[in-house]
Amino acid sequence: MELLSLEILNNPIFTTIQDLGRVGFMHTGVSNSGASDEFLFLLANKLLENEYNCSALEISMGSIEIKFHKNTKAVVCGYIEEIYLDDFKVEAFKTFKICKDQTLKIKNIPFGKKVYLSLKDGFILDNILGSSSSSLKEKLGFNDGNKLNKGDILNYNEYEDNYHKKYKGEYFSLVKDEILTLNVLLSYQEDFFNKEEKKKFFNEIYEISNDFNTMACKLKSENPIICEIDGIISEGIAYGSIQIPKDGQPIILLKNRQTIGGYPKIGTVLGIDCFKLSQCASKQKIKFKEINLEQAQEFTKNFYKLFL
Amino acid sequence: MEIKLAGVDSFIIYFGNEITKEINDKVKAIFEYLKKLNLDEIIEIVPSYTSIFIRYDLFKCEYKTIKNKVFNIIKEVKEKKNYKSNIIEIDVYYGEEVGFDLQRISKLKNISISEIIKLHTSQIYDVYTIGFLPAFAYLGVVNSKIASPRLETPRKKIPKNSVAIADFQTAIYPLSSPGGWNIIGRTYQNIYDKTYENLSLINFNDKVKFNSISKKEFLSKGGTLES
Repeated sequence: MELLSLEILNNPIFTTIQDLGRVGFMHTGVSNSGASDEFLFLLANKLLENEYNCSALEISMGSIEIKFHKNTKAVVCGYIEEIYLDDFKVEAFKTFKICKDQTLKIKNIPFGKKVYLSLKDGFILDNILGSSSSSLKEKLGFNDGNKLNKGDILNYNEYEDNYHKKYKGEYFSLVKDEILTLNVLLSYQEDFFNKEEKKKFFNEIYEISNDFNTMACKLKSENPIICEIDGIISEGIAYGSIQIPKDGQPIILLKNRQTIGGYPKIGTVLGIDCFKLSQCASKQKIKFKEINLEQAQEFTKNFYKLFL
Repeated sequence: MEIKLAGVDSFIIYFGNEITKEINDKVKAIFEYLKKLNLDEIIEIVPSYTSIFIRYDLFKCEYKTIKNKVFNIIKEVKEKKNYKSNIIEIDVYYGEEVGFDLQRISKLKNISISEIIKLHTSQIYDVYTIGFLPAFAYLGVVNSKIASPRLETPRKKIPKNSVAIADFQTAIYPLSSPGGWNIIGRTYQNIYDKTYENLSLINFNDKVKFNSISKKEFLSKGGTLES
C-alpha cells in the first residue's frame, strides 16, 4: 500500500476528523465527541454509499486546500458555494471524482458553518474506543485530537468509478429563519423551576453568546431564569441538556460536554435539533418549544430512518 | 428511588439526595450488575454519587419497557457489597515543589505537612464518581483534619498527575487542566492512558490507596517536576 494519500496544503482554522463518536464510555469520563451535524455527516456517507459511520473531515471557518495523491470519489456536504477541484467549480451535495495530483479547495466557509468532506470508504485511521473522532480535551484521535495542520497526511484506499449521486431532498440542518426554534423535553430538575420560570423560558427570545464550541452553547437574554436550587449532586448529562447556572442564562451541552455536571437542568434540546444549532454562529436568535416524549421520539426516529 | 426523564433516549434514576457511602455503594452494586447484564438495548450507563444515567436505543425498545425492565433488575440487586473492589495503589511524592498547596493547608488547618501526608496516606478511599476529565475519579472521604475548600481563584494550569484535595474529596488530575483543587503532591503513574482497557487506571468499582515516596524514587520512576 502506498502510504501518502492526501496532504493538507494550508493551515485550516479548525478542521478535525469526526465520525459518530465514542459511545459507551461515559462512565470512565470519556465524552461522546463525534460530528456536530450528524445530518450532513450521515448524508455524505450515504451519497458515497459508504458504511454509515465512515470518518469524515469536519471543516469549520475559513478555507482548506488538499492535494490528493491517489484517485478517489468524494462529496462535500455543507451550506456553502465555493468548492473547487483544481480550477473547476464543484457542487456541494453531489459526489465527484478526484484524480491523482488534483487539488481540492473549499473557500470562504462562513463563521459558524460546519462542512463535511467524505471520501469513498473513508480514511484509514486508528480507532480508539470504537471511534476515530478527534477530541483535543481528551487527546484522542488523529494527532492526539489536534486540529489538522499544513503538511498533515491522511490515508485512504484508491477508488475509481464514474457513477455519481446528487442529493435532492430537504436540507434538515440549514437554518434559514431569523429565529431558530429548538424542540425541548422538560427533564431532570424541571420541578425546581416554577410555572412562571418555565413560561419565561419558553417565551424568551435568546441570543447565542460568544461562548459557543463543540462542548457547549451559552445563550443570553435580559430575563434570567431562576431555579429554586443552587446546585445539585453531579450526575450524568444527556446530549442537548440545558443547564441553568446561577446567572440564569441557559447553557446547551453538546457532543464534547463533560460526562457529569452539577448545575440544575430545566430540559433537554432534542438531539437532532442540536445539529441545526451546530450550523449557527453567535448572535443567532433562539427560541425553545416544548414537546412531549412521544413527539420527540417520532421526530428522532424519522430522522435516522433516512440513513438506516 | 425516583426516575426522571433525561432526554429523548435517556433517563436518570436517583437513589437519594445526599452524598453517603451507603447510597454510593448501592449505585455501585447496581451499576456493576447492569454492566454485566450487557443488555442489547442499553447504550450508556453513567453512575455518579447518588444516581445512574441510562441511555437506550430508541430503535430497540420503548421508554416504558426499558424503564420497567431496569426497575425490576434493580429490585433483584442485593444492596450490600455486591461488587468486587480492586485496591489501586498510587505512589505520591508529597514535596512542596509539586504540592503547591501543602503550606496553605498546613496554615489553614493548623497542621504540619508531615501530618497532612500521614493522614492522606492512612486510609483507603472509595471512588464516588468519575468525570470532569476522562479518568478523573472523585475519591472520598478525606479526613476532616485536612479537608480544605477549593481555591477562590482556580489555577489556569494544574500539571498532569497532580494529587489534590477539595473539601472531603481527593483526586488525581489525569491530564493537565485548569482547576481549583488544593495540590498536595504528584504521582509518576499514568492515570489516563490509551493502552488501558477503559483508558482509566481507576474504575468506578475500585478503591484507592496513596503511598508516600521519596523525591529520588519519584524521579527514578519517571516523575517530572515541571509546573
